[in-house]
Amino acid sequence: MSTIAPQFRLSRFVASLFDIIFWVILIFSLVGLPIVFIVLFYIKMPVINGQMLTPYLALTWMADPSRTLPIIKTLIHTTFFHVLAFPGFGFAALLAAATIFVERKFLAKIQLRVGPLYCGKVEGILQLMGDGLKLISKEIIIPAKADKPIFWVGPLLFVGTAGAFVSLIPVARGWVVANPAVGLLAVFATIGFFPIISVLTAWAANNKWTFIGGLRALHQMIAFEIPLILSLLSIVIMTGTLNLSQIAESQQHYWWIVFAPISAIVFFICILAELERIPFDLPEAESEIVAGWLTEFSGMMYGLIQLGTYLKLYAFAGLFTVLFLGGWNGPMVWPPFPADIVTQGITIGPITAKIAGLPLFDQDMLNGTLWFVIKTVGVILLILLPRGVFPRIRIDMLLHTGWYKLIGLAFINIFIALGLLYAGILGPGGLIQ
Amino acid sequence: MLHMVDAVFLALSVLTIGSAIVALEIRSLIYGSIALMLTLSGIAGFFLLLDAPFVAMFQLSVYVGSIAVLILFTVMLVRRELIFNKIEDKRRRYAGIGLMLALMLGIGMIIIGSGMKSMETNSPSVDYKKIGEDFLTYYSPALIVMALILASSVIGALTLARREDMTNEQRAN
Repeated sequence: MSTIAPQFRLSRFVASLFDIIFWVILIFSLVGLPIVFIVLFYIKMPVINGQMLTPYLALTWMADPSRTLPIIKTLIHTTFFHVLAFPGFGFAALLAAATIFVERKFLAKIQLRVGPLYCGKVEGILQLMGDGLKLISKEIIIPAKADKPIFWVGPLLFVGTAGAFVSLIPVARGWVVANPAVGLLAVFATIGFFPIISVLTAWAANNKWTFIGGLRALHQMIAFEIPLILSLLSIVIMTGTLNLSQIAESQQHYWWIVFAPISAIVFFICILAELERIPFDLPEAESEIVAGWLTEFSGMMYGLIQLGTYLKLYAFAGLFTVLFLGGWNGPMVWPPFPADIVTQGITIGPITAKIAGLPLFDQDMLNGTLWFVIKTVGVILLILLPRGVFPRIRIDMLLHTGWYKLIGLAFINIFIALGLLYAGILGPGGLIQ
Repeated sequence: MLHMVDAVFLALSVLTIGSAIVALEIRSLIYGSIALMLTLSGIAGFFLLLDAPFVAMFQLSVYVGSIAVLILFTVMLVRRELIFNKIEDKRRRYAGIGLMLALMLGIGMIIIGSGMKSMETNSPSVDYKKIGEDFLTYYSPALIVMALILASSVIGALTLARREDMTNEQRAN
């Protein structure tokens, strides 16, 4: 029994659908088609293979897979596709959105609750979509005394910086948006922007809770950035490169977590602090300072900050995978494509379709992506896990951990890496290649 | 013919110099420090144009990520009256602008006179491994002196920050 529309009749609904279809067809044939023909009269159509490209021919090509597939294949290797869809924003946003839902269910299961249950009938699977629709349709409220330019720009900058971070993560061999020679330094430069954005938006909201939260975020991120950088130095020493793809490539036989376990632990703790997750969620401590530096955000501005936070989570988990867990390297489990698909065609029932260039992605890339996603999801779950288990720690304990213990621990593994290098075990010309 | 690099160079110059002027002239201290960040980022852009991504990334992570944050922090936490004295003087301003123009002209004459008129844009980017090698071989005395200065400043900062009266009285552990 729906409470939204108590007067609902299925017959009326179907009738209104037919009504809409009727008017669309009528208006299109009376107004739309003449406009299309008038426009076509003035546009010079390109000539391809000696044929003029009329809309009719274009539709024919689109319906013919053997002609469309090469176009799609070229599209896949353009920068446009890389940025928007696969290793870039679309892929990361999909994983981030899944993380939001999985986090709620996962924490619920840890604490013997049920979590989202009703939305979408099956285990609340549509809860995320509902939340998203709510955020989009919600009013954006700006505090009267807020500093409006910074307040508006803050969430956009946050998502943008998180997207820049995502673009540096290699997903499979050759599948990365930006592949600079100094990739790891680019990561450090990118994560340096997050504390600035947090403290500026916190100041701009003109609220004491946001300002306290922003200052806490600044303290915390600055304190944990140094052990984060130091913990990754041992990897740089062992691989001799700053390029993330080459670092992933260098782990074909063994993962760096074997030789740098202390670095991995330090890096993981720093990830938790940089992401403001429990037990380091002081900037958003809801029982002390409402929601910290996010207090004044509402509607889609809050949604953007959430998106940015989870993109950052994916990027950090991906970075952990690339640096310590071998990136895309793994046993070849993806089945090879049968060669006769391309030559013989596919037979489905009575129809045989002969399609040129059918495997859009090669086996190596699919296998690499599979392993990368498996490892990254594992790391994401490990990052989510403390939220269900640990309490929040005090700020002096947090700063003490960051400035004293983690920096010391990070140095230990740097010396271990140097020892391995000078003993001739690792590195160029070493025992293990 | 305006090349792509020239257009980027012009845009970066306008951004860097414009935000530097804004950083000096604007009344709001927060906006001033944001403009300073833009200036420093613009300089990182120049380093990228000069095929030195290593220096550019360090410019971003050190100057924007740390020093600009420190300035922002100071501006937000210190009361405005203490650091914002109104000693505005028209004559000083004009003298400053004149001095800057004279300096710029002088440096420009030197650069044009030295024969550095064009930029090589197609050369490969500077290898950071080469920088490291140079530091450890030819420039090693400079590296040692820098290390000593940094170590002494860290020790000095620790000595200044050490406060005997703040021992753990209030803490539970």
